[in-house]
Amino acid sequence: MSHDYESRWVYRAKWTYLLSVVGVLMLPVLYTLWISFNANGFGAAEYDFTVFWYVELFNNAEIRTSLGWTVLIAAIVVAVTAPMGVLAAKFYQGTQFKVPFVFLMLSPLFVPADVTAAALLVYFKNLNGLVDGLIGVELFDLSLWTAVAGQITWCLPYAFVVILVTMGRFRPEQTEAARTCGADAWQAFWQVEFPQIRPGVFSAGAFVTILSFNEYVRTNFLKGGFDTFPTYLVSYMLNTGMTPEVYAMAGLVSLVSMAAIGLVLVVALRRRIV
Amino acid sequence: MSGPTDSGGAAPQRRTLWQAIVDDHGPGRLVLWIPLVFMVVFFLIPLALTLVWSVFERTMFWMEPGFTLAAYQDFFGSGRIDSFLGSVKSAAVTVGVAFVLGFPIAVFVRRSVPAHAQHQAVLLFILPFMISEVIRLFALRPVLGRNGIVNDLLMSIGVVDEPVSALLFTPTSVVIGEVLSFLPFMVFCGFLAMEAVPDYVFELCDDIGSGLAVTLRRVIIPLAAPGIVAAAIFIFVNSLGLFLVPDLLGGPGAANAGTLVVNAIAALDFPLAMAIAAIMVAMMVVLLLIGHWLFDLTKLLEPFR
Repeated sequence: MSHDYESRWVYRAKWTYLLSVVGVLMLPVLYTLWISFNANGFGAAEYDFTVFWYVELFNNAEIRTSLGWTVLIAAIVVAVTAPMGVLAAKFYQGTQFKVPFVFLMLSPLFVPADVTAAALLVYFKNLNGLVDGLIGVELFDLSLWTAVAGQITWCLPYAFVVILVTMGRFRPEQTEAARTCGADAWQAFWQVEFPQIRPGVFSAGAFVTILSFNEYVRTNFLKGGFDTFPTYLVSYMLNTGMTPEVYAMAGLVSLVSMAAIGLVLVVALRRRIV
Repeated sequence: MSGPTDSGGAAPQRRTLWQAIVDDHGPGRLVLWIPLVFMVVFFLIPLALTLVWSVFERTMFWMEPGFTLAAYQDFFGSGRIDSFLGSVKSAAVTVGVAFVLGFPIAVFVRRSVPAHAQHQAVLLFILPFMISEVIRLFALRPVLGRNGIVNDLLMSIGVVDEPVSALLFTPTSVVIGEVLSFLPFMVFCGFLAMEAVPDYVFELCDDIGSGLAVTLRRVIIPLAAPGIVAAAIFIFVNSLGLFLVPDLLGGPGAANAGTLVVNAIAALDFPLAMAIAAIMVAMMVVLLLIGHWLFDLTKLLEPFR
């Protein structure tokens, strides 16, 4: 207890409040998870535990395909965004125009997904027509790559911030020392700085994975003729309502996200980087 | 790969080429510009162009260059503006509720939780935030519905005799959905702003015996203002666009700016969609500029310098 003037009970009451807010935020998720394991579905008087609905999911070829697309997109987005986050953080440290740069990097967080997605959709349609007219190739036709580009604009701010925070703990004197000893800029970065910021890059990669895995609006606008898991889930839900399959799909997404966050937290706590 | 990392064995010519690239004046330093260029090309330019596209002429399935304010007339002269203003109201209420519920948590964590556990306490709020927004929103239907868990609870402890139906498909449920989606941001930003404030400021307040209300009003809130403002703008703008909320929770006829954009695109009225997008972007820019002008939002980034 760091606070001398506060009674123990007030302190405990505040912790209780904090934890109950987290609990309320998690309640809908845990509740659907609970329903998803009920053989009788939502609102039934009896609760029989089953994984039947989950098995059904994996028997559905459309869902397996959509999961494949989701994983593929997430893999590409992470592979691109994590290194870009490092580059952006390095650029931020070196630039004189820190404020405009930060506003640009973080502004995707301040624009609603629908607006970004609609603007990008019209942009890609125009660009596609332009490029098609010039060289006869539909380079920017809606596809995997337009969806990936849309997702990166959304994920990069998070990767940037997480990596920047980790880099803030690295002491630049070490780079100077390495340079004095004859290392070039790349060696100083890769052999001295990178090993120390690796946990941050790892966390950024994990967050980007989760963000990409859950992304719906941008993907839905910008994807080609395929479905990712979230877009399949939403269209299924809007068409059929809240069936047990929908609960199982929601449960699957929640379980994957929670497992990923759990992994990040365990690694972070063990390495004492939070 | 034979990079500069392995000291022997690499072909000398390759090393020379590599060294030329990573040299302080070599082309290697240009890679640092990739994120900037990416964000300009795939974010800044598309959003800036919404203003141009919003005055284009609408054609049957697309649009063509021209100048007309038809899209804006359509937006301001129809029921859309009422939906929009309704969602502005919900978003403002959401900001208020998120501040009242979330900001005390940030204060508590910064002031009373031991230093080594502060980040971990704040990180608890990552958990709900990282779970798909789609799931969290549609999960509210069984939670808030007439035979959902909240009504079950209220009836079993005897607060109400019959299920409260005002919890779902009303403006209230829209606000609940928005608060549950964005509350963590108030905690994050509030905490981030106060993290830069040294401990002795809080100790001093206790030492001179200023009451909680005075400390909050004269010390904590002014110091945390950049964080509060950043979170408020974030929550406000994103609430306006929060997809699916009107569809899932809002009941018949509910819409927000995001729904209006999506519906306009679905109706192939691209200039209208771009006009609403341009209005949203303009609103965001104005709010951020005012916030920055009043409270210097870059203070939030002090810890990263």
